[in-house]
Amino acid sequence: MLIAPLVGLIILLLLKDEQKFLIRAVSLVSAGISLALSIYTFMAYDKGLGGLQFVEKYEMVKTFGITYFVGVEGLNAPLLLLTGIVIFTGVLTMWELEERTKEFFIWILALVTGVFGVFMSYDMFMFFLFYEIAVVPMYILILVWGSTRKEYAAMKLTLYLMAGSGLIIPGILMLYSASGLNTFNMLLLHKAHFSPWVQKVAFVLLFFGFGVLAAVWPFHTWSPVGHVAAPTAVSMLHAGVLMKLGSFAVLRVAMYLCPDGFHYWAQLMALLATVGIVYGVFVGLSQTDLKYVIGYSSVSHMGIVCLGLATGTVDGVNGSVFQMFAHGIMTALFFSSVGYIYDRTHTRDIHELGGFSRIMPVASAFFITAALCGAGVPGMASFWAELLVFIATVKVFPVQGLLAIAALVVGALFALRVVQTTFFNAPNPKFTHFEDVSPFLGLPRMMLIATLIFFGIFPQTMVGMIKSAVIPFLQGM
Amino acid sequence: MGPCDPNFLSCFLIVALPLLSFAVIMIFTWRRHRLSLAISLTCSTIPLILAWSLFFRLKDTVTLAKPIVTQVNWLVSDAVIVPFGFLLDPVSLLMLGIVATISWLIQIYSIGYMEGDPGFARFYADLSLFGMSMLSLVSASGMLQLFISWELVGLASYLLIGFWYEKFSASEAGKKAFVVTRFGDIGFFMGLVFLTFFMKDINIFGLGIFDINNAALTKKLTEAQFTLCALLIFCGVAGKSAQFPIHVWLPDAMEGPTPVSALLHSATMVAAGVYLITRLFPFFAASATAMTVVLVISTITLLLSSTIGMVAKDIKQVWAYSTVSQLGFMAMGLSAAALGGSTLFAGYYHLTTHAAFKALLFLCAGVFIHHFGTNDFFVMSKDGGRKLAIPMVTVTIGALALAGIFPFAGFFSKEAILAQLWHLPNKLWVGLGLFGAFLTAYYTFRVIFVMLFPRKDDDPVWQEYYVREEGGHGHGAHDDDHGHGGHHGVPWVMSFPLIVLAAFTLVLGFLQTPLEKFLLGESHPHEMNYVLLFSAVGCALGGIGVAWLDWGSANARWQGFIRKVPALENFFIQKWYMDHFWRWFLNTFIYGTFSRIFTYNDRRVVDGGVDAVAFSTIGSGRLLSFIQTAFVQLNLLFMVLVLAGVGLYLLMGR
Amino acid sequence: MLVFNQLETYLYLALLLFAIGLYGVLARRSLIAILISVELILNAASINFMAFNRFLAPHPAVGQVITLFIMAVAAAEAAIALSIIVAVYRKLKSINIEHATELRG
Repeated sequence: MLIAPLVGLIILLLLKDEQKFLIRAVSLVSAGISLALSIYTFMAYDKGLGGLQFVEKYEMVKTFGITYFVGVEGLNAPLLLLTGIVIFTGVLTMWELEERTKEFFIWILALVTGVFGVFMSYDMFMFFLFYEIAVVPMYILILVWGSTRKEYAAMKLTLYLMAGSGLIIPGILMLYSASGLNTFNMLLLHKAHFSPWVQKVAFVLLFFGFGVLAAVWPFHTWSPVGHVAAPTAVSMLHAGVLMKLGSFAVLRVAMYLCPDGFHYWAQLMALLATVGIVYGVFVGLSQTDLKYVIGYSSVSHMGIVCLGLATGTVDGVNGSVFQMFAHGIMTALFFSSVGYIYDRTHTRDIHELGGFSRIMPVASAFFITAALCGAGVPGMASFWAELLVFIATVKVFPVQGLLAIAALVVGALFALRVVQTTFFNAPNPKFTHFEDVSPFLGLPRMMLIATLIFFGIFPQTMVGMIKSAVIPFLQGM
Repeated sequence: MGPCDPNFLSCFLIVALPLLSFAVIMIFTWRRHRLSLAISLTCSTIPLILAWSLFFRLKDTVTLAKPIVTQVNWLVSDAVIVPFGFLLDPVSLLMLGIVATISWLIQIYSIGYMEGDPGFARFYADLSLFGMSMLSLVSASGMLQLFISWELVGLASYLLIGFWYEKFSASEAGKKAFVVTRFGDIGFFMGLVFLTFFMKDINIFGLGIFDINNAALTKKLTEAQFTLCALLIFCGVAGKSAQFPIHVWLPDAMEGPTPVSALLHSATMVAAGVYLITRLFPFFAASATAMTVVLVISTITLLLSSTIGMVAKDIKQVWAYSTVSQLGFMAMGLSAAALGGSTLFAGYYHLTTHAAFKALLFLCAGVFIHHFGTNDFFVMSKDGGRKLAIPMVTVTIGALALAGIFPFAGFFSKEAILAQLWHLPNKLWVGLGLFGAFLTAYYTFRVIFVMLFPRKDDDPVWQEYYVREEGGHGHGAHDDDHGHGGHHGVPWVMSFPLIVLAAFTLVLGFLQTPLEKFLLGESHPHEMNYVLLFSAVGCALGGIGVAWLDWGSANARWQGFIRKVPALENFFIQKWYMDHFWRWFLNTFIYGTFSRIFTYNDRRVVDGGVDAVAFSTIGSGRLLSFIQTAFVQLNLLFMVLVLAGVGLYLLMGR
Repeated sequence: MLVFNQLETYLYLALLLFAIGLYGVLARRSLIAILISVELILNAASINFMAFNRFLAPHPAVGQVITLFIMAVAAAEAAIALSIIVAVYRKLKSINIEHATELRG
């Protein structure tokens, strides 16, 4: 899985600029292979057995105890699937790209390699290495192919994430040295029993470091700006997958290695998450740029993810991981439909658009589906995730839980407001001549919707998978 | 009990077929109207047959105390277990039949009503989605499944109200309906969350409706726990059944096509709230406090909506407010029964009869609207509304039933509810109930008399009442297409459902005893309470009489008696200022305060802070940049000196 | 003992070369001259290697290998440096280092 995008990348490097079709085809094939592999691991993973499967392990640098150690378990299998789906649909979405095609796909494949690496690594050093591989291409992708204030956005995003990394490295090294085991292997480090003081400090460092990428309030402002500036597929990958890296890392590194630290700081986490949820919807309510609106809804939904993690209960973490998956697909759908509209109209101002249900019924159906999913309508995957998170939260943090539930009303208002102004009402005559989505370009969006609805109707396929890892995970804490 | 059980399978088919039709139409056939119609009709006819066959097959075997529960696990997390299945008892069996029938009739009716609309296929898809979610709501075995269907019903209603989405008012109304009911649903959801924990404490997972009721009957939880959950769940009921103070969405929801109003906003969806109370009747009955609150709120709703109905000029608005008031009436009946230790029969019975005659009234209104291209019944009256024979007869039947006149269905069910109110120690309630019945009769017959006995064309009253707004009210693009053009009589697909429903309205009244036997397993002999009987009929006839004096007789003034008190009339016309209140609330708090402050905070404080850090970094870089003279050799010299210094230190230092 | 057969002689020679080179790098204004001076410094290092190898090292060839290596590196370095100088000249019409001040802060 890790290899497929890498191989694709190398082939792309060898191709010439002019062979656009070949370039697209190669990247599509390599993305398709990763998708197929991720589906395969998702299906073939034996839930009854649990634990790590598909393990690969090589020593890399013995002196420091760095190993190449990857594997799949219930926690990361859904996220691998998510990445597979989003990259595949992302490549399809950018099929029309004409400007510097080759470089674009090279960078995007590099990014995906990093993402797969992060999700699968069980070695803290490799984890961080892949994390950086995933983050850095964003800068170039936004800077070169972006729009609206792209230099500012790219710089802001990179600086934020680098600041986050600046917190992560001390955290990781602190755990590494405090353990005295001379290994970066997380499974071994987990058994090291750090002193409470070390755990508390390291947890804060890691939580905020990774939290920046998960857009934890108040470190979220890079994300709407970044979404706005990035080209479509990058927004999809960014909001859909990269932000999940942050929350996944909080779960996998911070919570796993510092359980005491987690219990000490859980209140704070829940508080920040709730503020993020409520804050996101209210700020989103007053935005007029479609992508800003989605950006803030992401802030709110990532708040739900963090809230679920903060509960530290099986239901909460189940819901949280499920939400990572559901939100990833949902935002990808959002950005891909907005991207389509923006490519045609060159505006994203919701007051200027209008009546798109008449002009492009299919494109707007995609967006409306995503918006309804964001508003938590049942029958979509995110409904179940939110259900689990909220039930768990009310039990552990009643006040925060009730506040977050109340924010749902505003969330609905906010989603419907956008839908109403953009897609309903009388069409703007300026845009009536645009064509609707062709079946080929509609395909990736249909895939995303199908995924959302499939897991909305059969949530057990996902929850059972996640649960098989969450229960031992939390018992270990 | 497993998934291969025939009952489960047929229920599953009932629910799944409409969903299938929704998906197929939305994905594949939304451009082909005829095909979509065929799919949708097939997928609503089969559930209809299945539902009634289930009803007749099981009607002797199931009772309220011993329902058939078939379910499979849908989602198993830790404390949260969501089963998917069906609870078949008399209440749900009958309701399944009613919902299936009415949605089928509406689908037939819409063939005529929606003909030629560009969104024809989409309309049928949405209707199918609605049918699916309503049927699953009715038959759900667990509260969470019920909640999911509940939300889906809300979604379908959103799509259907905003069906003519190019009109601002329609999309606005759809949004309003969704958000307002969402507001109530949040309460519902919180109630469910609390219930999950309370039930978990006594080791019952999955929130089965049957389990909840059993827990209530055996007093497993404390009174306070019941009250908390019941009140929270009632928030959801109030949202969906349009109870005060969140009833504001329902009248606006009339922006949707009329068949939608008939289906959703009279017969089925809004009844879902009341249905939920009957479903959880023992649970609600376990908390006297909660039931008193319900009683108070439903009484306010009854009076509020009846008074607004008295002054509305839009025929659909009148029926909408009458729906609100009748829902209040049902809730009154149920809560009174709970307080008086009686059964759920009265409220539920009114629910069934109301479903029939209110669908009838709306469909008739739809015929008029379709024909005349307006919603204003004064205009219809002038343009010769009474010449349409079938709808005029049927609308009168419906009105008589709504007013509660013997021998129509409404008479019996209202009687049953009033009897429940009569049993309460405080006679205020029954008085208010009777007053509500009086008002109901009045506003209903105001419409009927105006339509039946129009003034001559040159009568001065038309100056006040005959205002033909272009584009109508809520009928938008549709009547421009062919509303004015075709005075083509009433197509049979539209009159057929009317006749069927009128027949139901006539028959249902006499089925009281068998129905009661079916529902409760026994029938209480009615001691005839003549005082109540006469006062109820008296109120209804009094209402009709006053309406006759005001609107019907040859020398009537054509002014409501309420005109005598202008302040009050204005208050009613402004809908008790509830819309203003909510609008103000939304503008001031949500948009004005939180959203603005948070956005400001985001721009200035959070973002500003970050930018400040960035700029100060650049600034300090500028400050220090004087070192960079770009004179390479100076730098080199510096480097050499430092290296030499280090070297010397290392040599000498030890 | 012959003066040629002593380690110190070579070290002094290397030191001299290095000092001249350093002076050239720091004081000359022409880029070409600076390049030549850098070569001198490299040569000084090579002489050191050879000398130590000759007088102290147990293995006879290591120092020579490194010297050969340095020669190769120096050739590459000279090529790159010259190309840079050409580029600078094209841009500034001068190879005086005092004119190359575009990076001033």
